Amino acid sequence: MSHVLIAESVWKQFRLHRDRPHTLQEALVRRMTGRWESPESFWALRDVSVTAREGQCVGLIGHNGAGKSTLLRLLCGIGRPTRGAIARRGRVSGLLDLGRGFHPDLTGRENLLTGGILAGLTRRQVTEREQEMIAFAELEDFIDQPVRTYSTGMYLRLAFAAATHCDADVLVIDEALAVGDARFREKCLARLRAFRDAGKALVLATHDEGQVRALCDDVIVLDEGQLVMIGAPDAALERYRLLLEERTERRAAELAGGAPLVEPVEGEGKRTGTREAVIAAVRLLNASDREVEALVCGERMTIQLDYGLAAKVTDVIVGVGLYSEGDVKCFETLVQSARVAFGPLGERGRFRCELGPLHLLPGRYYVNVALYAPGWTHIYDSHWHMHSLMVLDGGGPLDGRSGVVALRADWSNEK
Amino acid sequence: MSTFGYHRDLISHLVRRDLTLRYHGSAIGILWSLAIPVAQLVVLVFLFQKVIPLGIEFYPGFLFSALLPWVWFTSCLGSAGGLFVNNRALLWQTSFSPFVLVLVNILANLVLFLMLLPLLFLLLLAHGTPVTTAWMMVPGLIAIEGLMLFGLSLLVATLNVFYRDVQQVVNLGVFLLFYLTPVFYRVDALPETYRALYALNPLGALIESYRMTIFYGQSPHLWPVVVAATFAVLAAGLGVAVYRYRLHDVMDVV
Repeated sequence: MSHVLIAESVWKQFRLHRDRPHTLQEALVRRMTGRWESPESFWALRDVSVTAREGQCVGLIGHNGAGKSTLLRLLCGIGRPTRGAIARRGRVSGLLDLGRGFHPDLTGRENLLTGGILAGLTRRQVTEREQEMIAFAELEDFIDQPVRTYSTGMYLRLAFAAATHCDADVLVIDEALAVGDARFREKCLARLRAFRDAGKALVLATHDEGQVRALCDDVIVLDEGQLVMIGAPDAALERYRLLLEERTERRAAELAGGAPLVEPVEGEGKRTGTREAVIAAVRLLNASDREVEALVCGERMTIQLDYGLAAKVTDVIVGVGLYSEGDVKCFETLVQSARVAFGPLGERGRFRCELGPLHLLPGRYYVNVALYAPGWTHIYDSHWHMHSLMVLDGGGPLDGRSGVVALRADWSNEK
Repeated sequence: MSTFGYHRDLISHLVRRDLTLRYHGSAIGILWSLAIPVAQLVVLVFLFQKVIPLGIEFYPGFLFSALLPWVWFTSCLGSAGGLFVNNRALLWQTSFSPFVLVLVNILANLVLFLMLLPLLFLLLLAHGTPVTTAWMMVPGLIAIEGLMLFGLSLLVATLNVFYRDVQQVVNLGVFLLFYLTPVFYRVDALPETYRALYALNPLGALIESYRMTIFYGQSPHLWPVVVAATFAVLAAGLGVAVYRYRLHDVMDVV
């Protein structure tokens, strides 16, 4: 299989915005007062090489500011690398910078037409495909409304439909699948898989471990503009986690001048983070909101986190996971932005996560909770194996069942 | 599809889109574009026929034949600064060349110019001005003005990304140029010394040539056309050079 996208040793330098004079007056004043320093600049990408073959999905993971978006832009041909070269074969379609691709005053249909013509289709080709795109986006009732009236989800659906129906050979997607409801996300994943199976190449930047595992053949880990590794999804995700911890360590050292970051806790637990946001208490509640340490299999459970935020912190990523004693992840749920989900956060507060009936087999589990900095740049506070949960036998016939999930297993025999 | 075919389709679509968006949600739509020049015409005719009479024969025709190319010029340059700054969505499309926006702006305004042209014809016919073969020069003059606008707009659109003053300076310049260009008066009424200076104003030279062909029905003088065409070529060269030199910075900043 041949390569459709080759980026060779790409470097990209940006001048820092705050140092750029916006008006002639500023520029002149600087020149006359002799403060005409060469503008501060930074390298967003340093010596990054990427290739994508036909039928390959390349994942791109890294914290915010690691250079993912810059790399995707350059792959799409928007701007050019400061050093290095990028070669493309065939048509590249990009789903970047969601929320800017459409004109707000034009209808969905008019925007599809512009998008299609920009992508190189003729007017007739767009009209022929229009129905298919609208049906995929499930926007039949809204397609003749101006796009500014759309919700984020509708906007995403339209953008996704437009980008995947224009005969591109390479599809470059930046975090686009982070929004939208679960059902539509599945539909998108299926479409991307079909796209890949049809011999097209995909480049996908994401924070979502599930998507990385479900779609990607190879994953690139970027950190501070440098390529850290290319490898299989599991190895890459592990590396990404280690980088997150390293950055947390550095950040904690900056903040407290070398205060202990990993606090020893009793048992095998571990507490990590810079503590700019703190999980003050974790409570497990039963169906009647009473604090418990053990629950009966099938009983309802709520996890409650008391948190405190330092003054500068305005948003957090919240994660709650259930792990078995053998470290199998049974379940995890993430709030990618507490601010978006719940509005402005107070200095102290409480997150509640109602899990409903707990269908776990009896045994000992850990409730692992964590607060992360927006964009996954570092860990604020992570409680690993610090809170245990006993799931008790409800008295039903449990003989011969093992594993993690408590399913019913009603046996019978037909003769 | 060939690059040429692609750009032809793209530009014609974007011109249509531009014109739709301009009068989006208004009841009479594109007719508004006719209202402003016509209002300008009426006010100036009142001013210089009644208030301060200039004594020019058939003043409405004299004025309108110069006002049309002037309006095309100002409406293009007046909006050039925002072309790259306000169209991030398009700039961020793969394989989109920003200079297309400059062409689209010039062509959309040309459409409005061409819509007003029949009005001018009617005015001239009603007055009994003979239609002559000199009118065949008009497309040539439009081409010269188009090239001039392409160069200047490209320059303004690119530089305005880095310094927002550029559009302000252009607006001021265009405002002053209205009085320094013989749109509503004629140059030969001026003393000799000033006339020499006017000969160096390429826009003035171009507008005089338009008036010569449309209003007087004669072939334009060679010298003004040469001045205007030379300036247009220089402007286009400069615009393209600056655009090519700064394009990748534009993409980083926008």
